[in-house]
Formats: sequence, C-alpha cells, structure tokens
Amino acid sequence: MRKTVPVIVAFLSGFVMVVSFFFNPERTFIGGGQEAVLQWVTIVSGFTLVLGVFSIVRVNARAVARRSKGWFYKLLTVVSVFAMAIPAMLPVSKNTVGGKIFFGIFPDNWGTLFGTGPSSIYDWLFTYVDQPMMETMFAMLAFFIASAAYRAFRARNAEATLLLLTAVLVMLWRVPMGEAFLRLFSDSFPQYINMFVMNGFNVAVQRGIIIGAALGAASMSLRIMLGIERTYMGKG
Amino acid sequence: MDFWHRIMNIDRRWIYLLIAISVTFPMIVVMKFPVRVTPETRQLYDAINNLPDGSVVMLTFDYYPNAAAETEPMSVAALRHMFKKNMKVVTLSNIPLGGPTIAERITREIAAEYHKVYGVDYVNLGYKANYNAVMHGLANSIESIFPSDYTNTPLKDLPLMDSVRNYNDIKFIFVVADNATVDYWIQIVNAQYGVPVGAGVTAVVAPKMYSFVDAGQMTGMLGGMKGAAEYEKLVGHEGKAMRGMDAQSLAHLMIILLVIVGNIGFFVTRKKDSEKS
Amino acid sequence: MGDLTFIDHFQLWLRAYLILSLFSFLYRDNLFYRFSEHIFAGLSAGYYVGLIWQTVIIQQLVNPMIDNGDWWLVFPGLLGVLMFARLTRKWTWVSRVSLAFVIGNTAGIYLISSLHGLILPQMLSTMKAVNNSGSFSRILLAVVVIVGVISTLIYFYFSKEHKGILGATARVGIWFIMIAFGAHFGYTVMARVSLLIGRAQFLYYDWGTSIRQIF
Repeated sequence: MRKTVPVIVAFLSGFVMVVSFFFNPERTFIGGGQEAVLQWVTIVSGFTLVLGVFSIVRVNARAVARRSKGWFYKLLTVVSVFAMAIPAMLPVSKNTVGGKIFFGIFPDNWGTLFGTGPSSIYDWLFTYVDQPMMETMFAMLAFFIASAAYRAFRARNAEATLLLLTAVLVMLWRVPMGEAFLRLFSDSFPQYINMFVMNGFNVAVQRGIIIGAALGAASMSLRIMLGIERTYMGKG
Repeated sequence: MDFWHRIMNIDRRWIYLLIAISVTFPMIVVMKFPVRVTPETRQLYDAINNLPDGSVVMLTFDYYPNAAAETEPMSVAALRHMFKKNMKVVTLSNIPLGGPTIAERITREIAAEYHKVYGVDYVNLGYKANYNAVMHGLANSIESIFPSDYTNTPLKDLPLMDSVRNYNDIKFIFVVADNATVDYWIQIVNAQYGVPVGAGVTAVVAPKMYSFVDAGQMTGMLGGMKGAAEYEKLVGHEGKAMRGMDAQSLAHLMIILLVIVGNIGFFVTRKKDSEKS
Repeated sequence: MGDLTFIDHFQLWLRAYLILSLFSFLYRDNLFYRFSEHIFAGLSAGYYVGLIWQTVIIQQLVNPMIDNGDWWLVFPGLLGVLMFARLTRKWTWVSRVSLAFVIGNTAGIYLISSLHGLILPQMLSTMKAVNNSGSFSRILLAVVVIVGVISTLIYFYFSKEHKGILGATARVGIWFIMIAFGAHFGYTVMARVSLLIGRAQFLYYDWGTSIRQIF
C-alpha cells in the first residue's frame, strides 16, 4: 500500500502528459485535466524547494544549541535565513485579514518594506548582500581554472595535445585580440574555426551526447511511470 | 632547485596575481579591439529585428545571479532592442534563486529609459516552481500558472495580458540562461508548440547550443560575454560586455601563456628527472 | 553615474567589502571570509522561503481560494504540506504520494519531450545535412557531422567490447571528442574569466566612482 499508491499516482500523473501530446487539449476532454494537473504540480513542487531550508535551519540550530565547533558562524547562518524570510512573509497592505491586524499595530507606510517587491527588505538584502557574494564566489573560479590549467593541462599524448590545441585555438578565436591575431594568418581563419570546429566537430559530438542522454532520459522516464524505478521513494 | 623546477612548483597565489593583473590592466589602459559579429548572433538579432513593431515577445531570466556578468548584458541588450521596436515584453524566470528579483530590477530600469509603462508595455510574471510544468502550462493558459504577476497584481488587472493568453499570442521567446532550462524551452515549447526560440547562454552552455542552432530548433544564439558584446554592438549601445572584451582578451592570452609555460616546464623537468635517475 | 547619495555610497562600500572579504580567501582562509560565507548561505536559503511564500502560498493558494472561491486548491496545498513528512523518520512514507505526483508528471513530460523534441529533430538534422548542402565545404561539414555523431554514439556504447570495426569507430570518436572537449574547455575558461571581469568592473567603475567622489 505504502509503495503501491505512489506508483499508481506517478503513473497517472505522467500518463496525463503523454496522452495530452496525442490529443489536442484545446479540443478534447483532456484539456481541463491537463491544465489542473500542471497547476497542481507547480504548487506541490514549490513546497519541495523549502524542504531543504528546514533541514539547514534544523542542523545549524542544533549545532548552535550544543555550542559545537564554529557555532557562531552557524548562528549567523540561521539569523540570515530568518532576516531574509520573515520580512518577505509579512503582509504588504491592509487588503488581507492578516494585513488589517498587522497594520493596526504598525504604520501603513511600512508596507513597502515587506513582501518581495522592489524596495522591500527582501529585495535589498538580495541585491546588495546576497547577489554580490554569489557573483564573487563564482568569480573565484577564474583563478582556480588558471591555476589548474597551469598545473594539469599537459600534452602527454596525441589526444591530449589535440584537446590542448583546440582549446588554445578557441580561446584565441573568442576574444577580439585573439581574433585579430588569427586574421594575420588568413582573413577567413576565424570563420573556418566557427564553421569546422564549432559547427562541425563540436556539433557532431554534442549531438551524439544529446541523443544518448535523451535515450537514457526517455527510458528512465518510462521506468518511473511503470513503477520499475522506485528509488525516488526512499527507504521504508 | 633549478629554474624550471622552481617554476613548476610556484605558489598558486602568484598565478592568481597574474590573472588579477590581466583583468584589471585593460580597464586602466583601454585598447578596444573591434568586436566582430558571428553568424549565430546575427541570426538571433535578425529574428527579433524582422518581427513587426509592437509584437509580443517573451524574455526569460533563467540564470542564477552568479552568471550575471555574462547574462545580464544579454538581458539588457535584448530589452533595449525590444523596446526600441516598441515590442510588448512579457518576462518570467524559472530560477528560484534570484531570477525574479533580477528580472524585476532590470526590466524596470531599462523600461524607464524608454518611457515604457508597466502593465501596458511590459509585465513581469515572476516565478513558479517546476519549469517543465510551467512551460507546458503556459501553452494552455498563462493565467492558470501565473494568476498574478511578481508584485501580486492579478493578471486581469494588467491591460497587456488581455491580449496575451498563451503561446499563440507570443511571437518569439528570447531565453537568457546559464543552465539546462534552455534545452526544455526548445524540446517542449519549440518542438511541441512551434514558438520560435532564441537564446543567450553562458559560455559553459554555449557549445551544446550549436547543435540546436544547426538543427533549426533554435533561432540564433549569444555565447558568453563575447556574444553579449556582439549583440550590444548590433543594438548600438555599448554596455558592460563590450567594455569587458579587452580584459577578456588579455586574460585569455595570460592563460594560454601559463599553459605553454606549464607544458615547457613539464617536458624540461621530466627530461632532467629521467636523466638524473 | 552622477552624484551619489549617502545611501548609494553605503551600498557600494558594503558590496565592495563583501566582494573583497570573499576574495581574501585566495590568499588565505580567514575570519572575514567565513563571516561573509555563512551570511551568504543563510540569505540564499532564506530567499527560497520568501519566494515560495509569495509565489505559491499567497499567489497560487490563498488569493485564488479567497478571491475566486477555488477551494479545491486545498488539495494540492495538502499534497505540498505532506512533503514535510520527509523531515521525520517515522512519517517519511507519507511524503511519497506528493513526490510520486511530481516525479511521475516530470517523467511523462520527459518521455515525450526527449523523443519528440530532442532525438528526432537532432537525428533528422544529421541525416538531412548532406542533402541540403550546397558548396563543397558544406558537404564536407555535413560528412564530418555524420561521421562524428555515429562515432561518438559508438564510443559511448559500452554494452559491447570495442574491438574490430566497433573499436576502430570508437577510436575515431575519441578524436572527435577531444576536439569538441577542447572547444568546450576554451569556452569554459571564457565563462570563468567573464565572471571575474564582472567583479573587477564593479570594483573599478562603480566602487571607484564612490572613492573618487569621497576622496
């Protein structure tokens, strides 16, 4: 029962999508059903995103309570979660029941600070604190890739040499200075790189990978719908 | 330790410093090599340009904030192009971390420059979870998935959305992405509903997109910051991407130099070590 | 940028501090880096909560139920809440229905889209390429693509040992893959460098403007 019902639900949920491909939803019975299923899926999927946050708060809060190593940093994490989440969840106007109660206590003009709209605390924290840090974390990869290229990118054999030469050629072609350098050899050199390297060899390999991966995805999807693949359910 | 062994065992922080210098130096000494437009960028630009003025297009902000250096110039250039042609723009994001906030900020900023009115000339739908379901759902009815826009205004209160019910009312979808969502725009929306799709993608994703452009599933592509610079050139508005091309050039040359020196050092030290042993 | 207000200066200096504190990790792990890193983790997690509260709970559940009388939406809401049963060991099985609903739907979408939207168009394009070509270089390109697609697919076929014709084709595939991955590496370097350029542009142009105006 604990596994049978989910398998049936998975099959039906997917079956609606498969059938609606063959029957035009606008003109057949499937139309309203497909629309409702998709609406429900977007709602339920939203809750899955928040699941991880609960986990993070629980793990970090326990570490803070136990005063384990680095507990102060974990406290920062937990405080940051609430600093972002709570203002976003507060009402923005008196139009709701909660809003009437809330703005009965607090001034009306505080409404712009709450919710997720522009000029809210949520928006400000994201734009001026979270986003710059996110961009910086990934910007550091430039240093790491340079260091890795220096230490590990070796022309040890013919295949590696081919990979290295192609990488160098593409790195030159993709920048104006490099393209100007390549044009010293021939005006059409950049065009041939685009044509034969990117639209030739690259397309061929990418296409092979796309086809292979798509075949795998299709077969895995069928296995899930037919209940053969049940690992997503977890143990128990 | 001889010279080459010292070079091979150099502290990685010196390499970091070289990269930092190669990126910042061109900002002080501006070189401005010409940016030439590739066929893929031209194809995307022409696709938008050939649409009648006033057409309804969809612009997606399907990128995480960490990729903004590459993708934000694309979004900005695309919006400028669309607003110049007086197109009606519907934006949305399939990225739960930052996408809708970035979409809101950028569209309002650029729309203000062109004196566009929210709700009449452009609408930001915001975000809804599960992009596969969202993409399919928009084919039936936008309102079934997005009952209101990002700022909680019901769609029925937005004049633009009176005439935009589903994909039938959208002439082109311009995806700006740093991940696999662009694959799904192609394999779901373009393949099943026939809406033309073009994309600006980060350089990591770009090589894969060539297959879709070649197969006609995608109408043009912008690849990385260079692609954004090319589009800025076509739109006629120099932005961050064009300004960053000098730094990109010098950094690439520096990395190529590091690879060459690393390989020379590798072979020299390997020979010396085998002679010693 | 024009004359900056006090708030503008504060925002620019705050961002510059956060950027430089994270970059300080490149020299050595330190207090400033850890401080910023943990705030970043918390804010990112908090962002999800605020977004889902507004976009799902308010916009897709509460408002339609109250304004339009769509009370049947309580069922997907309940399915969503059941998802939280995963956080308990005893009641994890309750969340399976919600998970199965979402994953089954996604599987149904993938089944059709991967066949109809990926495999068929890509194969069709490969087969039509030679026929549609005009000039010699285009025909050569089409042949390169066909040979490359087949040899790549064969290289990744591991159900049979790579011997004889299969082995030879797989070896051709390796050469194609090396060229494609070399191109991919070049693009990846470009991507990473671009992200760094974005930060450098902020520090030099935006923060630099603030410094010039203050000093």
